[in-house]
Amino acid sequence: MAVATVIEEQKHNIEETALITGSEAIAVACKLADVDVITAYPIRPYDTVMQYVCKLVANGEMDCEYIVAEGEHSQFEIVKHASACGARVFCGSSGVGWMYAMEALTVTPALRIPMIAMVGNRALDDPGAFGVEHNDALAVRDLGWQLVWVDNVQEALDTALIAYRVAEDRRIFLPCAISCDGAFLTHSQAMVKIPSQEKVNEFLPPYDRGDLLLHPDNPITVAPQGNEDWVMEIRRQNYAAMERAYGVIKEAYADFERIFGRSYGNPFFEEYMTDDADIVLLGMGTLSISVKVAIRQMRKEGKRVGFVRMRWFRPFAAEELAKSLQRFAAIGVIDRDYSFGSPYLGGVLAGEVRHALYPGPGKKPPVVDFICGLGGREVTVPDVQKMAESVYKAADGKAQPLTQWIGLRE
Amino acid sequence: MGRLFAIEIIYRGIFQKTLATRISRAIVIAAHHEGKMGISFGRYGDSPERNGIPAKNFAIVATDEQTLEEGMAKYEPKEVDVTLCVDDTLCKGVESWAWYGLQPVNKLLKPGGTLIVTSREGPEAIIAMAHRKETPYQLSILKGTVSFSGLWVYKDDHTDVRLLGAIAKVLPDLFSLQSVQKAIIDEWKDELKATSAAKSYERTSSITVQPNQGNPEVPYKFDLPKWHEMGEGIAIPSIPAGHKMDDPTSHAQGGFQPDRNPTFKKFSTRTMRPVVNFDTCIKCTLCWLQCPDSCFDVTPEGLYDANMQACCGCGVCEAVCPVKECVTMVNETEFKDNSSQWEDWRKDKDGYKVWLQEKIKSHPERSHGFRYRGQYEEQIPEMLEIASEK
Amino acid sequence: MDTYVQIDPTQKLDPFKAVKKIPLEEYFTSGHRTCQGCESALVMKMMAKAAGPRTIVLGSTGCMYVANTTYYSTSWVLPWMHTQLGSSGSAALGTAAALKALMRKGKMKQEPINVIAFCGDGGGADMGVGAISATLTHPDYNCLILMYDNESYANTDIQLSGSTPWGANTTFSSPGKVKRIMHRRWKKNMAGMMAAGHPTCRYVSTVCMSYGLAAMNSMRKALAIGGPTFIHSLDPCPKGWDYDPYISHELGELAVNTGIWPLYEVEDGVLRLTGRTQQIAAKKIQRQPVRDYLLKQGRFAHFTNDDIDYFQSKIDEMWEKWLVPGVIPFRTEVEADAPPA
Repeated sequence: MAVATVIEEQKHNIEETALITGSEAIAVACKLADVDVITAYPIRPYDTVMQYVCKLVANGEMDCEYIVAEGEHSQFEIVKHASACGARVFCGSSGVGWMYAMEALTVTPALRIPMIAMVGNRALDDPGAFGVEHNDALAVRDLGWQLVWVDNVQEALDTALIAYRVAEDRRIFLPCAISCDGAFLTHSQAMVKIPSQEKVNEFLPPYDRGDLLLHPDNPITVAPQGNEDWVMEIRRQNYAAMERAYGVIKEAYADFERIFGRSYGNPFFEEYMTDDADIVLLGMGTLSISVKVAIRQMRKEGKRVGFVRMRWFRPFAAEELAKSLQRFAAIGVIDRDYSFGSPYLGGVLAGEVRHALYPGPGKKPPVVDFICGLGGREVTVPDVQKMAESVYKAADGKAQPLTQWIGLRE
Repeated sequence: MGRLFAIEIIYRGIFQKTLATRISRAIVIAAHHEGKMGISFGRYGDSPERNGIPAKNFAIVATDEQTLEEGMAKYEPKEVDVTLCVDDTLCKGVESWAWYGLQPVNKLLKPGGTLIVTSREGPEAIIAMAHRKETPYQLSILKGTVSFSGLWVYKDDHTDVRLLGAIAKVLPDLFSLQSVQKAIIDEWKDELKATSAAKSYERTSSITVQPNQGNPEVPYKFDLPKWHEMGEGIAIPSIPAGHKMDDPTSHAQGGFQPDRNPTFKKFSTRTMRPVVNFDTCIKCTLCWLQCPDSCFDVTPEGLYDANMQACCGCGVCEAVCPVKECVTMVNETEFKDNSSQWEDWRKDKDGYKVWLQEKIKSHPERSHGFRYRGQYEEQIPEMLEIASEK
Repeated sequence: MDTYVQIDPTQKLDPFKAVKKIPLEEYFTSGHRTCQGCESALVMKMMAKAAGPRTIVLGSTGCMYVANTTYYSTSWVLPWMHTQLGSSGSAALGTAAALKALMRKGKMKQEPINVIAFCGDGGGADMGVGAISATLTHPDYNCLILMYDNESYANTDIQLSGSTPWGANTTFSSPGKVKRIMHRRWKKNMAGMMAAGHPTCRYVSTVCMSYGLAAMNSMRKALAIGGPTFIHSLDPCPKGWDYDPYISHELGELAVNTGIWPLYEVEDGVLRLTGRTQQIAAKKIQRQPVRDYLLKQGRFAHFTNDDIDYFQSKIDEMWEKWLVPGVIPFRTEVEADAPPA
């Protein structure tokens, strides 16, 4: 008995490595976070996380209520209510499944529910495509959801732990969606380091709902109907929480580095070869791989191109990003999304980047927007080179179409 | 700048919704006949309406478009020329659905503006109910039984057109009787209704109510907190559980008094209140159990005292009570305060008996709307007759 | 490893023996903004009384949300939380799941807590029927879903729902010059559907607040039996049905005595007609004509005698032709249906 305990303890202190998918990595994070209630509903590609959760529960590796719902609306409502009663929760979806849950997604931040959801990014119907597009997760960008994009399996696992830490911080109590590009991240396996339970426990305190706990010992009335005398004040509270999230995220990444010894640098965006760059490309998610490869090739040709990969889209680190982007002669934003009829017909990300630059002091480099990779279409190295060429021209003062479709059969 | 007119109609939710809408529409149409323009609207904060809970409609009329916009730029008028109060019991105050606090019926009246009340009471009773106002105002009573009906069947007892005739009299600058009659023909194609309006016009008179007249009580108010003073997560504390009752004479403790919502009291919904004969009560529990508003306090000796802060006057307690005249609904105009009947009875049983008999005499006078098909047809002639009495 | 359904202990909730044994405490109190004579508010009051203080209530959008709890104000003594219109099933499930997980894992004090989610007929019979159905298939979560049925979207302005009776006047079915009957659908049989369609659901019943003691005892049984349960309450609505609030209680009695609203419970698959309905079925009392019920409500004021006769014939069918009278509309042979022109 004593021997077994010692072995068990040792096992827990050793950081294991495993070959798993991004979805599985997030399931492992849920296990390490000792999540209490999880709801599932099938839709590609996110549902791979739930297939793995099911195995963990069935094998006795994870103790949670694992509920298969009858639709995404119920899936998100069930965990919303579980969280209100003090349970740590997890769920997720993709594409139109996420949209089917939209009503529940809307009320979750308003109720200050720290739900963590995985979005396996997927094109919206119709046509029913399985490949990646970011419009699903972006649909909630104005509602009080924290939104983060990851580009590798290790980051998926680590970010899930960080998301719990931030969302459940009493100063925040806002939900967080972790976006993983469909297929590229949800379905491909990579070697990851799995942190020990002890370190996770040190990093992630138990979820304490405090005075908002729905329980007979704390009789409260939650979310009565509100008229025009109240709604602005209630929205202002959420505004304040999202404002605070910026600082709480920084704290969480600093603690993550201290405890796990793995650093992500700037939590909000990653910079690649920007130190000496003339121009930069900026994007989110797994297209970073082709961009990085293309940049390395272009550098061989003497083109000093850099890359900025956005992680946190909400909160959006506008000041920091503007300060960084002002160093370059021109910026190319890569949008794996669309926003039909938007200003200059650009994508969502380009609009946000231009917005971030506008109020700041100093120079405002031209921003060219590239819509590409929709529906999971490959973003190729030549595609990226083409984008860089256009950005170089813009930097030279040559007028470029503000929004360009790349990789389209024309 | 032209002239702006504002008319407010204070009514009982649902029961008088159709009545109020008909009046405010006809005001705008009548004004239109005189080349004025206007809008008619219900206060959105009162919607969705509930049976009996006070609500408001407004008609805003102006001599030109820009002046009308001045009126429309406000969510609701801050002052009105005429207030129509289509149920006299509303003179005790208006706690509307989305309102925190009790609003005096005459609150929005301009100095010298007119309060028109439909009632069978005289001016003394109306003035006694209405809260005091800093400036003098005019009071005009449209004699008649208060008109109540439901959503689907309208009781066309001419209250609408009689009020329109009265407005033409008290505010001739807004529109003439002729314009009112044209509007009535436009809207309802009914010559008899046009005649009713004319009769009402002739009979309408008003008296001045001075600042020292009326109910001296300060109506309860509610201050809205700032955003950072409110709890997060849209959560508020629940109501405490309640407590035992205290006998005012013996100081015995017992029974149960629930704690009640401190920000919405509901008594201004009431047009009738139950009076209880504690001597004949058999303690069957039915009034207490079947009350949708949990308004009955259970006394230490197991009697049931309808709490007048909470009672909305639905009458279910009378309907379920198996003892004749043990619970009797009495017109709310008969009462001056919300004191506990049980405490009064405990302090002076004989005096209470006299008081009770006197109150019961005025029963029944009211109807809350549809009870059976054909009922309105029976009631209308009687109501028109009362209306034609000088 | 666990292979069987794990039902946590429930509260011991014996029936109240008589009206005088009903506790005095109120857990849903005054100061809500419902209509005068609101029978649905009475459901809330009786439900809270029946369940007692160790209860969590979830309320889906509808009158009993909007009117009972206007922000900064509440009439609940119990902990209460809003849920979305179609979410009563999910709210009950999520709350029950949280309690189960947290207690099992030692994160919350072990104790049976009642979980009740209520919905109106719009939230229940229309939008939320899928989620309610799903919840009733989860045998290991203790919760009650209570549908208060006032036969229209009474909160939003009286629009027809799947639970509105044939022919009734609503703002979405108001009679006109050419078409008298704009609502030509028959009321959904929710309790029957829930009982028949969910074999592991241990308790389904119909109640009416005009029979308050029986209703409360039914609620207590539903909470104590274990697993998910469903109760359907018919609530006369003075606003939408257009009648004097004074007769709220009487209309509930009439709904039962005309046979329009059968009272029954299905406990572990065993059907038991209850109250006056049992007496009607046993022919101890006669069904009253539906005319007595219809003519007291303004929503049927446009009915012709043919309409009333048709309504009567459909109720007669329920009692004379259905294989399980009043409960399940299966027949042995095809019946002609001839609504009035």
